[in-house]
Amino acid sequence: MATFDTSDCYVVEGKLALPYTYFAGRVGSTFITTLRDQRKIMGVKCNACGKVFVPPRQTCERCMEDIRNNWVALSDTGEVVNFTVVRYDDKHLPRKAPFVLAMIKLDGADTPMAHIVEGIDPENMTEGLKVKAVFADQTTNTILDIDHFEPVK
Amino acid sequence: MAYRKKNRNVGIVGIGETKFSSHREDVNQPEMIHEAVRQALDDAGLTMNDVDCVVHGNMELFEMVHQPDMWHTLGSGAFGRDSFRLTTGGTTGGTLAGAADNLVASGMYDVVMAIGFEKLQEGHTTGGITNMADPLWARKLQSGALTAQAAVKLITEFGEERARRAAMTYRIIMDKHACKNPNSHRAFGLEWDQMDDLMTTSPPLIGELRLIHMCSQSDGACVVIFASEEKAKQITDKPVWVRDHITVHREETLNLCNNYYPTETTHKFAAEQLYARNNITNPLEYFDVFEMYDPSAWWGLDWIRDFFLLEGDEHIKLVENHEIMMDGKMPINPSGGVIAANPIGATALVRVAEAAKQVRGNAGPHQIPRPVNHALASSFGGTMWTVLMMLEKELNW
Amino acid sequence: MSQDYGVTPNDIFNSMKDRFRAEGAAGISSVFGYDITDAGRWKLTVKDGAMSIDKTDDLSGCDVKLITDSATYVGINIGKIDGMQALSAGKLKVEGDINTFALTSRFFVKFVAPGQDAAPEQELLVLKKVISVKQRFATGPVMGKFLKGLKVQKILAIKCPECGRLQSPPREACAICRVKNTDWVEIGPNGEMRMMEYCYYASPDPLTGETRETPYGAIGILLDGCRDEEVFWHLLRPDQLDQVKMGSVLNGKVTHGSRLRPVWADNRTGGISDIKYFEIDA
Repeated sequence: MATFDTSDCYVVEGKLALPYTYFAGRVGSTFITTLRDQRKIMGVKCNACGKVFVPPRQTCERCMEDIRNNWVALSDTGEVVNFTVVRYDDKHLPRKAPFVLAMIKLDGADTPMAHIVEGIDPENMTEGLKVKAVFADQTTNTILDIDHFEPVK
Repeated sequence: MAYRKKNRNVGIVGIGETKFSSHREDVNQPEMIHEAVRQALDDAGLTMNDVDCVVHGNMELFEMVHQPDMWHTLGSGAFGRDSFRLTTGGTTGGTLAGAADNLVASGMYDVVMAIGFEKLQEGHTTGGITNMADPLWARKLQSGALTAQAAVKLITEFGEERARRAAMTYRIIMDKHACKNPNSHRAFGLEWDQMDDLMTTSPPLIGELRLIHMCSQSDGACVVIFASEEKAKQITDKPVWVRDHITVHREETLNLCNNYYPTETTHKFAAEQLYARNNITNPLEYFDVFEMYDPSAWWGLDWIRDFFLLEGDEHIKLVENHEIMMDGKMPINPSGGVIAANPIGATALVRVAEAAKQVRGNAGPHQIPRPVNHALASSFGGTMWTVLMMLEKELNW
Repeated sequence: MSQDYGVTPNDIFNSMKDRFRAEGAAGISSVFGYDITDAGRWKLTVKDGAMSIDKTDDLSGCDVKLITDSATYVGINIGKIDGMQALSAGKLKVEGDINTFALTSRFFVKFVAPGQDAAPEQELLVLKKVISVKQRFATGPVMGKFLKGLKVQKILAIKCPECGRLQSPPREACAICRVKNTDWVEIGPNGEMRMMEYCYYASPDPLTGETRETPYGAIGILLDGCRDEEVFWHLLRPDQLDQVKMGSVLNGKVTHGSRLRPVWADNRTGGISDIKYFEIDA
C-alpha cells in the first residue's frame, strides 16, 4: 500500500472510442454468405492431414497447406463437446444470462465451433448432447446468421 | 554503454513481402500475413518445420482487434511453436528484427521468423495514435502522427524557399524510386516540373506539412527469417549478416514543441553509439545504401543529418544534388521508403528486408547499380524512438 | 482510351439527375463547381434534397470547386483511379473545404459505364464496428497536484534536483538524470509563443469520437520562468491563428515569439480544459 501523501491523487474518467472495420476475406465471406443465402454450413478439408475445419480457413495451420478451395458441405447437426453457462450480463454478450455457450462439433467436421445452445435448461446441459442449427431470420453477416443450436428432438 | 557482444553470428536467409496497397478486402489478417510467410519460406527454401520460433508484431490499436498473434496462427505458421508478440509503435518492425537477431545470437533458437504486418484500412490510424498519448493531457492536443515540427525547424534554419524546395525534391526522388518498386502502394509518377505546383497546391495538413509530403496508410505484411551462422550457410549461399543493431528510447512525450536543438535527437544518439562501437568514422563513406523510416518528406530530409552525423547544410546539399537517388553517392530508400508504403507494423521490417535485398543484389527493378557491401536500416516510432540495424555482405568485420 | 470505355465527363454529368439520391443529400445546401480543364465547367446545386446540374463557364458563387482533367475525372468515376491518390499526386485539386466536397459521394449512386463489366464479383463482407471503452485514470500524486493547481489558476512545474530542468505537466522522475523530482515551482501563467502546429486536419477526439473544428493551433509556449525546451503544450485561441509569431532559438540566437496569456475556464475541474486556450497578451 502507498505510504505517501495521497491527498493529491484522484481519478479522471475517460473513454476510448474508435471505429474499425473487419474484412472477412474471400474464404470467410464465402462461409457466411453460403450460410446466409443457402442455409448451408461449409467447411474446408486439408488433403494432407484429412481434417475438416469449420469455421473454414485459407491455410491448414498444422500442415501449412493451402486449402481455400477444398469446400465440403457439412450437416447442420452435431454434438456438444464442451460447454459453459454464462451467468453474467454484459453489453457485448449475445444473450441475457443465463445462457449456454457450447463447442459444437458438426457431423462431418473435425474441429468444434463455438455457438449458443437454446431450448434446454442450462442445468440439464451435458457433453455429448446432439444439437441442430436454427438459422436466423434476419442476417447480420456474422456467425449469428445461425441464430442458435437446439437439442435434436 | 555496454557493447552488445554476440554469442554467434546471425544471417538473414529469407525475405517475403506482400504488395502494399490501400485495401485488402479479399483477405483477412492471417491470410494476408500468410502471403509473406509463404514467400519468405520459399525464398529460404525452408518449411515451417525448420523454423524454431516466430516473433510477431503490429500495433493492435490500429485495427482495434486484440491479441492478433493468437488467431493469426491460422496463417503465421506459429501453431505449436515458440512465439512472441511485440508492439513498439512505428519501430515495431525494427524491434522484431532486433529481437530475432538477439534470439538467434543468444543460442536459444537457430532459426527465427519475424512477422510484421498492418491492415490500416481496418482501423483509424490517427485516432489510434492519439489514443496512445497521455490521457490526462496530450490526448486532447495530439494530432495523430501528423506534425510540422521538422518543417518549422528546417524553415527556421535554412529559410522558407530553400527548405520547401529541398523537402519537395526529397519527395519527388522518393516517388521516382517508388515507381521502380513493384510492391509500392503509392507511385504517382511525379515529374520535376510539378515541383512548384505541388509546393503550393497540395492540401496542407499541418503548417507546411502537406498531403503530398506525408506517408500513406497501407495494408501489407513483411517476413524476414534469421538464422545462426552455421544454419545460414547451409540454407543459402547469400546470407546477409546482421552486424549490429541498437535501440534508443527517450521520454520526449510531452515536449514535442521544440523548434531548435536542445540536445541531440534519438536518431543521432543511436547513430553515434552504433558507429563508435563498430569503428565507423565516416558513415557516409562506409554505407552503400540506407533504407530510412521516413514518415514524411520533411522528416526524411531533416533526419539525413542525424543518421550520417552531418553538419550544417550537408544533408540539404545531398538532396539538392540528387545524391540520395539510386545512382547517387548515398542512395536512400531505393524502395521508395515509407512515403510509398506504410503498413505500420511491417514498415520498419520492410526497411531491413529492402536493405538486405540490396546486399543480396536481387532487389529487382529498384536494385541500385553498384555493389552493396554495407547497408543501414532505420526505424522510427512513438515519440522519437530509434532502432538502427547494420547489414553486411561479408563476415569480415 | 479503351480503359475508360469511351466515357466522357459529359456522360457523367448528364447522368447525375438519374443517379441522384435525395436521402444522401438531405440537410445539405451547397453549390459545387467542377472545372474539368479539357472538357468544360459544371455547377452542381444541392438544396432541400433536390439538385440541378448546369454546364456553365461561370463558377462564381460555388462553395467548393474541383479542378482536374477529363482522364482523371472519368477514371475516378469508373473506379479506375483512386480519388485520394489523385489528390495527393496533384492531379486533382479542391478549392474550398475538402470535407464539403467529399459530401458529393453520398449524393449519387455509382456511375456505371455502358459496357463496363457489371457482373458482381464475389460479395466480400465488411463489418463496421466501434470499440468504446470507459476508462478511469489515476492521476497519482504528481499529476494530481499539477491538475489541482489549475483549479486555482496556478500552473505548476516540477524541478529536477540535479539538472534543474522544469517539467510541466510534471513527471515523478527526471528520466535523463534518473532521479526523483522533488521541488515544485509556479511558472507562467503568461509566456512566449515558441511553436505552433497549424492544424488543417483534425483527428477525432478520443473522448467523444467527434472531430474538432479546423483549423486549430496546438502550441508550445515557453512560460515565464522556463528556459530551453521547457515548453508547455496547449491550444491557441482559434481566431488568432494568423496573428501570432513563432519564436526560435538557433545556434544561440533567440527570436522572440508573441506574448501569450491563458484564458481560464469558469468551471474548473482539474483537467486540461481548465485553461480554455492561450491568447495574445496585448
